Amino acid sequence: MNRVALLLRKDVLVLRRSPLLLGILIAYPLAIALLVGLVASYGSSKPRVAFVDEDNLPASVVLGGKRFDVSHTIDQASKNVKLVRLSSEEAERQLADGRVVAVVTVPPGFVSTLRGMVRSPQLQLQLSTGTISSRVEQQVQALVYTLNRQLQRAYIASNLRYVKLILHGGDGSFIGAPITVLGIEKAQGLLRAMPPSTRREQLLDFLHDARLALANTNDALSSTAHPIELVREPGRGRTWALSAEVQAYALALTITFLALLLAAGSLAAERDENVVGRLARGLVGLGQLVWSKVALAAVVAVALGLAIAVAFGLIIQIGSVTGGEPWRRLPLLALGLLLAGGSLGALGALLGALAREARSASLVALLVVMPIVFLGLIPAEVVPPAGWLSDLLPFAHAVRFFRSALYDLSPWREVLKEGLWLVALGAVFGGLARVGARRLLV
Amino acid sequence: MTPPTPLLAARGAGRTFGRKRALEAVELELWAGDALALVGPNGAGKSTLLALLAGALEASVGKVERRKGLRVGWAPQRPAQYGRLSARENLELFARLEGEHDPRAAAGRLLEAFDLPGEAEPSANLSVGNRQRLNLAISTLGGPEVLLLDEPTAALDPEQRRRLWERVAALREAGGAIVFATQNLEEVELVANRVAALRDGRIVFTGTRDEYDRAHVESLSA
Repeated sequence: MNRVALLLRKDVLVLRRSPLLLGILIAYPLAIALLVGLVASYGSSKPRVAFVDEDNLPASVVLGGKRFDVSHTIDQASKNVKLVRLSSEEAERQLADGRVVAVVTVPPGFVSTLRGMVRSPQLQLQLSTGTISSRVEQQVQALVYTLNRQLQRAYIASNLRYVKLILHGGDGSFIGAPITVLGIEKAQGLLRAMPPSTRREQLLDFLHDARLALANTNDALSSTAHPIELVREPGRGRTWALSAEVQAYALALTITFLALLLAAGSLAAERDENVVGRLARGLVGLGQLVWSKVALAAVVAVALGLAIAVAFGLIIQIGSVTGGEPWRRLPLLALGLLLAGGSLGALGALLGALAREARSASLVALLVVMPIVFLGLIPAEVVPPAGWLSDLLPFAHAVRFFRSALYDLSPWREVLKEGLWLVALGAVFGGLARVGARRLLV
Repeated sequence: MTPPTPLLAARGAGRTFGRKRALEAVELELWAGDALALVGPNGAGKSTLLALLAGALEASVGKVERRKGLRVGWAPQRPAQYGRLSARENLELFARLEGEHDPRAAAGRLLEAFDLPGEAEPSANLSVGNRQRLNLAISTLGGPEVLLLDEPTAALDPEQRRRLWERVAALREAGGAIVFATQNLEEVELVANRVAALRDGRIVFTGTRDEYDRAHVESLSA
């Protein structure tokens, strides 16, 4: 049997005899994946926003002939933020110390400007600094958008009442003053009762055209108010917790922990056992020793990764989750697990060679794994240097490989690219580990 | 006719660890039938010299020459084996790595010869003496012609010591040789035909055991 395979078999045997270690190695990354998921879900949670009313908003406001319950309207519009009513001073203080992420102020005269319908009243927004502020700004913009939509509906309804009055005539009011309108229909009747003449015919033609035009006002007003309308169809996608993204991250995170810790710990353990010298005197080269640890990481990554994928798939299948599980893609996923496990194993072996002692190596690997994972979680569009750095480590490539292998309609291009990245990184880290393994002889 | 060549030779071989020079460049030859004792205080460089001769360490200067095809067994001072594997599993693994024809049979033979427990208990749980016996047993795998033993009897009981030296004698009679580091002068008297004394990483004496005895007596009486 090949010498690398002999050492690999020995390591698997040793691992089997350490069920507690194996259990922790599996449970720990899954727990971390869950925690990361909870942190990530914070992205859709409600930030706390102060609401300062300097206009003493009344309980209800009549706009465009429609009565608005102010508190109810604000609650409806602020679904994505948690609005807390504060005085101006208190809001300033809480914004300064970070207890609220934004302050929305209704300035004096807001409602009267709104009622006047001559110019747009303004809401004032103050934001905290930092990366969350852009998200809060979007959510406050969404709040204003929702308010505007409710007002638009009221204004359109009001305008349509005027149009109806012009068409059919009757009693109404304008800026609070009662008015009586003859209406186009009655005007046409009066004109027809008059003696025929060229002028009468011209007026009748005009009234006919005007009536046709005004009859389409409803649609025209609506389309002017919303040139593009977003229609939300009933939910069809998976929940976030079962998404392809979560599956890819959970797999990558788990095997990153396992591969790094196993390779680092098992290589350094060879020195702790005092066998490196015995092996290196012609039985097993240092390069073979390093590759046996890479192989161990790859084999364990494939076994555990496939087990997770199958468990995830069964949940999808049993729950009849939309989209189903792409079982046919498991062989491609296995290839990705092998490459990612090997690449991460090579990095782990490098850490093991540098740390030299199993306990130190495990601690170093544990300390290194978190930044690697979190670097891979930061969107490169948000912090480009994090993306560049992450590209030099296997985690992000593993995530992209798994995601593409499982769910892309045509995964080959992405899989080939990320596969080459993983092989190249594995070769570099493996080469460095081989050089560093000389330290194990001392 | 080609001149006879030693089984093993250190040609100006020395070793440094970082800035520390553990062994100055040494010249040493080992011939068939030799039982060379390495003596000297702790830290003199005996273990480093044995590791260099075994090929477990690379020489920082000079080189170690081996007769072509020579098989060498090495038992370091601290047992070198896998603690989570049993004695049998350790022996089978190293037998495979040494290229033994029948690893299972070789392991069984050595378990009996060294009186080692054959059950599945991890070797880390064995007594100090049993771990050392396993260490020595592993060094004899692959049919070595030269044995390099670093303080081999330190944890052995008298019966096991006797058995070990009997094996060594048989090896020498078969044309092999042994180099062993020891602090025990009785063993030097009993086993060695040549002695190399080291101090502060240098060989300060090499010669036959009789020459060493005389030099030792002279140094004591000086």
